[in-house]
Amino acid sequence: MTHLATLFPSLPSALAGDGDAHGTAHRAAEGAAAAATWIGGATAHPEYSWAGWILLLPLLSAVFCFLCGAFRVKNKLPALVTIAALGSAFGLVLTLYLKYDPTHASGPMTVHLFDWIRVVWGEKPGQSFVADWSLYIDGLTLFWMLFVTGLGTLIAIFASEYMESDVGGNYCRFFGAVGIFLFAMGSLVMGGNLALLYLGWEGVGVASYLLIGYYYGKPTAVAAAKKAFVMNRVGDLGLLVGIYLTWRHFGSIDYATIFKACSETIANGSHGGDWTKGLIPYFLMLGAFGKSAQIPLFTWLPDAMEGPTPVSALIHAATMVTAGVYLIARLYPLFLLHPHALHTVAWIGGLTAFLAATIGMMQYDMKRVFAYSTVSQLGYMFLGLGVGTTFGACYHVFTHAFFKALLFLASGAVMHGFAGQLDIRKISGLRNVPGFKIVAWTMLIGCLWLSALPFTAAFFSKDTILLVAMTDESHGNRILAWLGLLTALMTAYYTFRVWFRVCGGETAYQPGDEAHGHDDHGHDADHGHGHGHSHGHAADAHGFHPHAPRFAINGVLLLLAVGAILAGLPGLIEFLKMGPNWAAEMIAASSATIGVPNLTEGLAGGHAEHAHHATVLGMDGHTAMFLLSTVAGFGGIAIAAYYHLVRRRAAETLKQALLANPLIGWLPRALENKWYVDELYDALFRYPIVVFGGHVLAWIDRYILDGGIINGIARIPAWIGRLFQPLYNGLLQGYAITMVGGIGLILAWIVYVWMKGGI
Amino acid sequence: MTLSAMLLWMLLAPLVGAVAIAVSPRHLAKHIGLASSLVVLFLSIVFAVQFPAWTTGAFVPDTNVFPDGVVSLTGVTFTLGVDSVSLLLILLTTFLTPLALWGSYTAIEGREREFYGWFLTLLSAMLLAFMARDVIAFYVGYEFTIVPMLFLIAIFGGDDRKYASLKFFVFTFVGSVITLAALVYVASKSAEATKVWDFSLSALQAHAKTLSPKEQFWVFVALMVGFCVKVPFFPVHTWLPLAHTQAPTAGSVILAGTLLKLGTYGVYRIALPMAPNAAVETVGFLAILCVIAVVAISLVCCAQTDMKKLVAYSSVAHMGVCMLGMLSLNPLGMNGSILYMINHGLSTGALFLCIGFMYERYHTKDMDQLSGLAKVMPIWAFFVVFFTMTSVGLPGLNGFVSEFLCLMGAFAATTHTDSGFPGLLGPKWMIVAGVGSLIFGAVYMLYMVGRVVWGPLKAPGHGDDHGHGAVAAVGHAGGHGAGQGAASGAGSSSTTAAGPKHDDSAAGGHGHRLPTDLSAREIAILAPLAVICLVIGIHPYPLLDVITPSTKATLAGYPEAVRDFDATRESRGELATAPALPADAPTTPAATDASTALGSNLGVIAR
Amino acid sequence: MTTVLPSLASGLASVALAASDAVVSPADPRLVQVALVISVLLFVIGLIGFLTRRNMIMMFLCTELMLQAACIAFVTFGRMHMNASGQVFVIFILTVAAAEAALALGLVVLLYRKRETLSSEAWAELKE
Repeated sequence: MTHLATLFPSLPSALAGDGDAHGTAHRAAEGAAAAATWIGGATAHPEYSWAGWILLLPLLSAVFCFLCGAFRVKNKLPALVTIAALGSAFGLVLTLYLKYDPTHASGPMTVHLFDWIRVVWGEKPGQSFVADWSLYIDGLTLFWMLFVTGLGTLIAIFASEYMESDVGGNYCRFFGAVGIFLFAMGSLVMGGNLALLYLGWEGVGVASYLLIGYYYGKPTAVAAAKKAFVMNRVGDLGLLVGIYLTWRHFGSIDYATIFKACSETIANGSHGGDWTKGLIPYFLMLGAFGKSAQIPLFTWLPDAMEGPTPVSALIHAATMVTAGVYLIARLYPLFLLHPHALHTVAWIGGLTAFLAATIGMMQYDMKRVFAYSTVSQLGYMFLGLGVGTTFGACYHVFTHAFFKALLFLASGAVMHGFAGQLDIRKISGLRNVPGFKIVAWTMLIGCLWLSALPFTAAFFSKDTILLVAMTDESHGNRILAWLGLLTALMTAYYTFRVWFRVCGGETAYQPGDEAHGHDDHGHDADHGHGHGHSHGHAADAHGFHPHAPRFAINGVLLLLAVGAILAGLPGLIEFLKMGPNWAAEMIAASSATIGVPNLTEGLAGGHAEHAHHATVLGMDGHTAMFLLSTVAGFGGIAIAAYYHLVRRRAAETLKQALLANPLIGWLPRALENKWYVDELYDALFRYPIVVFGGHVLAWIDRYILDGGIINGIARIPAWIGRLFQPLYNGLLQGYAITMVGGIGLILAWIVYVWMKGGI
Repeated sequence: MTLSAMLLWMLLAPLVGAVAIAVSPRHLAKHIGLASSLVVLFLSIVFAVQFPAWTTGAFVPDTNVFPDGVVSLTGVTFTLGVDSVSLLLILLTTFLTPLALWGSYTAIEGREREFYGWFLTLLSAMLLAFMARDVIAFYVGYEFTIVPMLFLIAIFGGDDRKYASLKFFVFTFVGSVITLAALVYVASKSAEATKVWDFSLSALQAHAKTLSPKEQFWVFVALMVGFCVKVPFFPVHTWLPLAHTQAPTAGSVILAGTLLKLGTYGVYRIALPMAPNAAVETVGFLAILCVIAVVAISLVCCAQTDMKKLVAYSSVAHMGVCMLGMLSLNPLGMNGSILYMINHGLSTGALFLCIGFMYERYHTKDMDQLSGLAKVMPIWAFFVVFFTMTSVGLPGLNGFVSEFLCLMGAFAATTHTDSGFPGLLGPKWMIVAGVGSLIFGAVYMLYMVGRVVWGPLKAPGHGDDHGHGAVAAVGHAGGHGAGQGAASGAGSSSTTAAGPKHDDSAAGGHGHRLPTDLSAREIAILAPLAVICLVIGIHPYPLLDVITPSTKATLAGYPEAVRDFDATRESRGELATAPALPADAPTTPAATDASTALGSNLGVIAR
Repeated sequence: MTTVLPSLASGLASVALAASDAVVSPADPRLVQVALVISVLLFVIGLIGFLTRRNMIMMFLCTELMLQAACIAFVTFGRMHMNASGQVFVIFILTVAAAEAALALGLVVLLYRKRETLSSEAWAELKE
């Protein structure tokens, strides 16, 4: 238990048993007891087995869509079915939430659906391995499922219009993969054991693979899909080892059992077990880093933008990439098994946030900027988890899901309208283009939210994280907080760089090369779809008319903007001290609370409580952070406004000046080339192992092993035969003499034995 | 019909079919072939339904099907009996064979009678090997599979078929002769002791335990030589890629689906229970071979350009995982291993079928010449991606369950565990095999899919991707279905847009007009495989449940053998770890104290 | 030779005796010895003939000689053990030999027609 004390030295840690921390021992102890009983009392609720439909509905819709593809359905039926299925799933999640309110329930519930993997060879513990299809439902589950299914439905509606040029086979493929994704994400979040989590984990990976590679005619898309899958697999291996170790130490991979054991050991103040138990969090974290694109496995996410934009919004921004955060939040007790596990998470998160933001500042592809911002924001979430505010991390996931989906869908609408144009240097003044008003202004909301300006949703969630990091003096968390503030400045800069470039300024645009579509789905000129005059080059831009979004796209953008605004309500209510924080309550009613001091301290208080006794820059922590964030946000926007709205030339001049400077000239080049991480990985792993190793081993296999050794052995009898070859001269008598000679030899041997008295 | 009569008829029905094919007209051959394999499938299903020993691990009926004296050469009997594992493999065989035969309807042109006749003979031989309880009967079945396969490769194979069939024959034959020698040696020793020749497996296994350790060791090694060739283990795998590449599609399906399983089945049924004390001494070495197979061969896969060769090499890697699970010597890994045999048969067999269907259309398996076929063959592409996903072990599909259990088994196979089944592998094996299987496995399979299924369209006879003529025509036919049905679309593409260079492509070379995308027959072949893959992936519990009793029986002597071996090693000072706890020390996994079993186990990593 | 010849003479006498008396009695060891020697002599003559001659008909006759040597040995051992199987085999061999002779002579004729010579040296195709 000393682990906890070292983890959160500045926090009241009566959990750790040393009540002298901050004099709030009794409260924390109550909290711990509450958490322990809450988690320990997981009860089976077979009457809730209808919750299985939340998983089944998307899967059925996926099957239906693939069947549509097989039968060449050429209308929007797949989209309608998918929307209906996802909408119903959302309705079911909502019903589940209303019928079973985790914030008022006595504990999490488990629902056993049916048996899955079950090897039982003895009665004793450790003599069975059981992983069933079962659900584990608590606050975290419902919190996650609400926005996963909700956003999934909205994005499916958006895609029904966005993908309409693909109606036919590929349309079915798209919605089939979306169905698979929702099924897998549901299993990941609702699954009651680690194997089911792994199923969802890989399932979302495969859906992501299928959707990144959706425009399979483009080799870059295929390569990006493969890269995403393989890099995720590296993380999955870590997850697999983590699952094994968990089974080994807890005798089960069921959440209910694990958390019960964890609560007990935390309450007893002893983790027990040997040092290998401490490896569990590290292996699990590798899986989380893979899925959530953290250092060192982050390079796949920007490439994943090759997929259709709704996919980027749903999978690669709002939901799937947050699975790593979910994993750590869900298994938070396991991350306390080693004192440095969470610090590792915090540092990785903080550094990723910073690194991705630096790259994001120098990209010209709108979607790539947002992709790096996603990596960066995920870094914040890991920072939050690492410094101990699971609430902050999960709340940031929640708010981020809305505004990032909004940003992606808005850029998707631009792309849709301008024939795939994504280069922020080639579109300008979008706010004045007819039909794009909603896009431009909802995008502004997204940008404001991403910049975390005061009283936006992200402000509440991000500042929770930064405040906790700032007030924690251990292990350089304060450094991470300052780094996070610097990142916030950069975030505001690159976000508004995009908005000012695209929506601000004079109206001018060039169409793209119809990146979505091209020849993949017969979108050629002779095929004549609505906006098929797409092979336009820059020269014939004057003949180009933007294709304004219609009802579904605009409607979803507006809904998401409203959602993004509303997502800030819990934070606002708490900020104004008007009542309990719904999000914090939900997170508190889950396994993410076990061993988290500042949450168990008081459900309503959240981070505010513990920030009392911490000061930043001589001020009250809250006030200080408010001011710092405001400065960072507006500072970034101001810089962006100067270089990208007021004096666009200046940006180019500055860049040239930097490049010309021999001392600092490498920096913009490195940033533009994403710090050469891809090249590094290629040089370190891909070429040596896969290409070089593969070819060399194949050569060895073919020419040395098979050609040399195996065929060499096979040649030995032939060589022996050649020795006696002269005997076989083809003449009958020759063979007869050989035969007689042989008989003679045998006889001579018999006689010899006989003479020796052997017979 | 009694159970033993049913087994006998399962052996005879294909032979009857083969004879019928021999005497009937050529055009009926395929129908008779399919019909008799369906009869066998039906019989096996009826047998499985009536099978009484699913959960007991017993062999049923385990009787000599002929009255005493009819077939009785000095102790050789025709005893047939199956337990749950044998029966599952029999079902796999009888299930795959009709599909493979049906899949050959258009692929085999000329000499059909030989093809279908030999195929049925092959079926009978495989079934005999899985049913026999007498080692000589087993050996006859095991060995006789080589002969039909030789003809299938040598007559119906690709360009290099002579060399491939020769290599296949010599390799597997030499290996299994050594196995036979070991079996006869044990039988002769047993006859010396009891004065009665008895080749029954149970008698031999009982007697083998009384041999001296040195004898046991060599018996085990000799047995493994033959089985390793068939599995195939790492250094003796080189026949497999060649044989697979040259074999006709159906031959590849059965080769990967069932013939390789004869090797693993032999290890499971004969070698491992025969000499536990010898086995534990070699487990470490064999595991090295497995891991090399998984990692190195996975990398070799990345360098292949022939699709069939890639899948064939992937079989070597996959069987490495399968064997690693078996060598973990605990129910977890061994259940996974048995399930792996079935799953690998299904998914790899299906992949070979997919490649075969594509080959019939384009007459090439070279990945350099093919690209972006998803555009013209979307349904085919669906199946390829699906079976690729089962192959790389996507959870929810069958491959995952077995791979997961094999790796978990290898991880749990440490000398001191409270599972009751100590093993000799441990985490490092699992991690290395996991790297190969999970990561490199994904790399090469996705490499194949990325090259062939995705990408810009390129196929012989479909023009290169720069020309819009042929591509557009076919693209509309396949992707959009503009030609009102695939058949007419393909027809138009090969007549109008394609021009003279299309004479042997696109619509099938000789006589059969194949549609651009899969025909109904081909879909009907692949769909059941896909459904079964999905069902096993989602609900494997019934299978795992019936496998467990059998694996426990196979593992019967092992906990003791491992402990003995461990004790010997320790006394020799080979184990540098902390003093070990007794294996059955009362440790509660939930809240163990310090230095439990895993400490010493993971010490292995540190070493 | 000095021991063989008298025993040969007495052996022949006893053969005649046995034939005339038709008395079934255990075989005289001398009889067995003599008969086997004859068998070996016949066999060696056949063998040497087979190895030295190149004329295919001569070679064929030599093989027949060796076959008959085997027949004598069969009969002898049959007599020695006082059972009929030796004689049964001889009858069997004679039958086969007759068929074989027909076949072999036919082959010889065919081979002669191909090469216009009876020498076995004309046929060396089996040479590797």
